Order: sequence, then C-alpha cells, then structure tokens
Amino acid sequence: MGTLVASRAPLGRQLRSELRWIVRRPRTVIGLSALCLVPVLAGIGLWFAVDGDGAAGPGLAAIVSGNGLVLPIFTLFLALPLLLPLVGAIWAADGLAGESQHGTLRGLLISPVGRLRLLAIKSFGVATMTLFAVTLIAFVGAIVGAVLFGGQGLLTLSGNTLPFLDALGRILLTIVLVTIQVWGVAAIALAISACTEHPLVVMAATMAGVIVSGVLGLFSALDWLQPYLITSGWNGLIDVMRDPLPTEQLWNSTALAGCYILIGLSLAAMRLATKDS
Amino acid sequence: MTTSTSARAESADAGDAPVLAARTRGLRKVYGHTVAVDRVDLEVPQGAVLGMLGPNGSGKTTTIRMLLGLVRPTEGEVELLGKALPDGAAAALPHVGALVEGPGFHPFLSGRENLRRVAAFEPLLATGSIKQAVEDALERVGLASAAHRRYRGYSLGMKQRLGLAAALLVERKLIVLDEPTNGLDPAGTREVRNVIADLRNGSTTVVVSSHLLSEIEATCTHVAVLHRGTVVAQGGLTELLQAESSALLVVTPEWLEALNVLRDGRISARATDDGLRVELIGTTPPAVLETLVKAGIPVWEARRQRTGLEELFARLTEAEETDEGLSAVDTIEEKA
Repeated sequence: MGTLVASRAPLGRQLRSELRWIVRRPRTVIGLSALCLVPVLAGIGLWFAVDGDGAAGPGLAAIVSGNGLVLPIFTLFLALPLLLPLVGAIWAADGLAGESQHGTLRGLLISPVGRLRLLAIKSFGVATMTLFAVTLIAFVGAIVGAVLFGGQGLLTLSGNTLPFLDALGRILLTIVLVTIQVWGVAAIALAISACTEHPLVVMAATMAGVIVSGVLGLFSALDWLQPYLITSGWNGLIDVMRDPLPTEQLWNSTALAGCYILIGLSLAAMRLATKDS
Repeated sequence: MTTSTSARAESADAGDAPVLAARTRGLRKVYGHTVAVDRVDLEVPQGAVLGMLGPNGSGKTTTIRMLLGLVRPTEGEVELLGKALPDGAAAALPHVGALVEGPGFHPFLSGRENLRRVAAFEPLLATGSIKQAVEDALERVGLASAAHRRYRGYSLGMKQRLGLAAALLVERKLIVLDEPTNGLDPAGTREVRNVIADLRNGSTTVVVSSHLLSEIEATCTHVAVLHRGTVVAQGGLTELLQAESSALLVVTPEWLEALNVLRDGRISARATDDGLRVELIGTTPPAVLETLVKAGIPVWEARRQRTGLEELFARLTEAEETDEGLSAVDTIEEKA
C-alpha cells in the first residue's frame, strides 16, 4: 500500500460546487431578491419626496433631478451599516457552522479536502456572493435611478456634476470599497463560524459586534478606539462623492478592512486546523 | 488509483506480518475531564470485515472518528492504509469511504444533488464520470427512484441509504460504517448486509460498528469488542467464539457440592441459571464427569455449550462491571 499518493479533487470543481450550493439555498435567493428591493424602495421614496411640494421641495429636487446615478451609491451607503454585514454573516454562518450542524463538514473532511483548502473554498464562496450582492444593489439602483430621475450624470458633494463615464467609475469604485468592508465583517464571521455549529450564533455575534462597534464610535471619550473600529471607517466612504477624489480616508478604511480580513481568516484557519469534527 | 490486485501483490511481498488496512496504537482521547477512549490498539486486517461491538458510550464512534482523522487523538497513533495520520490523510482518505454518526446532508437539496456535491470533492472521481458514479451509487442502495426528491422529505431509512451511497461513490479500499442499519426496516438491513458481503467479495476491507450482535455475527469475519473506551477483545470471529465455546454445561441438583468437588480437582466452574458452567481449560468432558460421578454427585444432564457472540459480548462487558481481576473461582465463591 506504499503506492498510495496524495490526491486532491480539482480546485475549480470544488469552487463551482461551493457556489452552486450557495445559490441553490432558498435563503440566498430570497435574500438577494430582498436586497434588490432596497434601491427600488429608496428610489420611490426619493421620487415622492421630490415630486411632492413638501419641505424637501426644490432643494432636494435640484440635487436628484437628472442625477439618477446618485441612487446606487446612496443605496449602498444605506445598506452598508446593517443589511450587507447581515448577508455576509449569513453566508459565513452557513459555510462552516451550518455544514457542521448538518453533519456535512465531516463528509467534506473525509473526502478529503485539506482544512486550509476548505477555508479557502468557503472564503471564496462568501467573497464571491458578497461581491455579487453589492454589485446587484448598485446595478438595480442605477437602473431605478436612471428611470426615475434620468441618468446623465452624478452631482458631487463638492457641487459640480460628473459626466456619465466618470459617474460610472465612481459607482464601480463604491462597489469595490463597500465590498471590501463587507469582506472584513464576513472574515470575522467565518472565524466565529469555525468555532460553533450553530449558524444563528454566528449571525447574532457578528451583528452584535457591528452594532456595538457602531455605538462605541459615538463616544468622544473613546476616540483612541476609532482607528481600530471597522464601522468608524464607513462614514469616511462618503468621500467617493467628492470631486476631486480625496483618497486618504478611503485608503485608511480599506486598509483597516484588510486587517480585519487577515485577522478573521487567520483565526478561522487556526481554529479549523485543530478542530474535532 | 491503484487496483486492489496490486495492493494484494504488495501484501504478499510484505511477508510475515498480516497487512493491516488500519491500525491504532495506544489511542487516547480526553474531552475536558472525560476520558472517551483509552489504550485502544485496534488492528483491521486487510480484506476483513471487522465488527466493532460495544454498548452505547463505549468509544466506538470516537475511535472511528480518530481513525478517519476527524478527531485528533490526545495520545497515540493512527495508521490508515499504511499511512500515518494526520500527514498521510491526503493519500489514504481518498480510498476510504465512511458513514459516521448518521448521514449528513443538506435538507434543501435532492438526494442526487447532495451526492453530486459529495462527488465534487472526491479526489478519485474524474469530473466527467461524476454523473454516472452518482447514478450508480443511487442504484446500488435502491434510491434511484427517490433521487429527485428533497433530502428533507426522506425517511430515516432513505437518509441512511443515501449516506451509504456516499461511501460507495468510489471503489474503495476501506469502508467504515458507523451503525449503518440504524432506522432501517428488516428488508433494508438485509440489503446493507448484502452490500457488505459484496464489498468483502470485492476485497474491500470493511469496519462496521453496531449494537446489533446478530448482524455482526452474520456479516463479520473479525470482531473488536469495546467497553468503557477500551478494546477488551479482538480477533477472528470464529477463533474468538471457539475459544469461548470450550465449556460444559452440567445440570445437577447438588450444584454447590459439585462446585466444591470441581474446585478440589482444580477445574474452574461457575453457577449459571441453566446449571454449572464448567470451563474446559486443561481438562476434557469425560474427566469432568468422572470427577463428579466419583464424588457421588448426581449428574442429570451434561452438554457442550456453544457460545454465541451475544454471550461472549455479555461476558466481556459484564466482567468489567464487577472487577477485571476476578478469577473464575472467586466468582464461584461470590455466588455461593
């Protein structure tokens, strides 16, 4: 039996299988559909606010009129504090804790798939799905915005209007930046997911962390903590709406999210390596 | 993938020692303050069907999980198909199929989809042959007609069959089945038995744990009895039972007297509900009867006792309940 050599299933096949498995989940389909509603609702709300003769009146109307491409960015900022971390946490929770709960993690490990490789596959699944979710919101937002308000350009916070192509660039930039932030949260969620077999615990712990982090960011006495809180960087992302583009805050918050990704994945790898299943 | 014939050729080269499909040495697992498994030296000869017997909580599943690299032993070594774990896992595990702690599948996927997902992670399956392998496995366990249904709606027996199908996706060298007949009806149990027989004929080594003694007796060539986290007996089924069957059952009304007579003759015996059980160690039935009759003991009936696995199991696990150190003679005094 000395002839047995180490063999692994092709990585591409495993990644495809992982994505297929996530997409086939009813909650994935429902979750993504619900996310599509966010830009639609935001757009309709804005439209009524502009259309009515209410207090928002001419000021707001001037901002959005002809500036439909504001909507995707606006909606992403709306979804970033809670909705996007939640979907990231759900996929991370199902990835390890959920598999463990159904007894399917055992099967994968016996196949065998190396534990580090398993984490890589799971991370890929969560990362791809969050990127898709963010892009989906932006895409639906852009269409709704263009239909309701016209999509010629993007009025920046600096007062000027960016032409169509530049506006598109800003939307793509926002997609990338927001996705990286969600990855930071999801990586921590994966680490929690590696420690338990209850997906609900993962979701609850992750969301509690996001909320507490947000609350801590409100106290000026805790200013020294700000640079380490991932949520504190989220406010700075509004810089994508300025012209010319100030990059310092964007870099800082992206670097911070990168640290969260690194820490989260390292913790998950450490836990998985010695985990009894 | 090496074929079983080439593996056999190698086993012939190996010479004197029997080639083992799996082996554990000094295996110990401690969870917190609980010792789940201790000093387990298990040997699974290649080509054997080894039945792991033991009461609930005797360490069967923990041992199996360590055998498959799912759980890290606190102490001890595991060798699987000649490869030491955990380093050799990538080489050994593709040739190992397992059903551990009940079937584990996703409720929202159909039986077929679930198996395809398992198959995608099987190193020995070429991508092009996955579909066929899945259909074959479904056919083999009799699930072909229910393959399109969601796993959520499966009965316990169907779930168990799907778990078995996952273990059979690839032609394996070793198959480990933890309580494979749980939840199966008699027909299903018989089918599992047939599958195991097929595997044995195909020279696949099988480790099957069960609490159903008759099942083990019907399908296994080797037995390992676990009790309180350790192996209390192991070996070939026939050898173990033969060693146990050397007893004579003597029915007499004066059994207390008879016990004393036998003890003076240095023959070990103990009282049972059916009569005196005389161990034929260093003695023969005629000698036993001669001793009794010469002492004036009325012997009503004497017959050779054939031990079943059930009795062996009961004796092994109950002996531990009292004390390991008790000799047969001590047991007699206790009863008398």
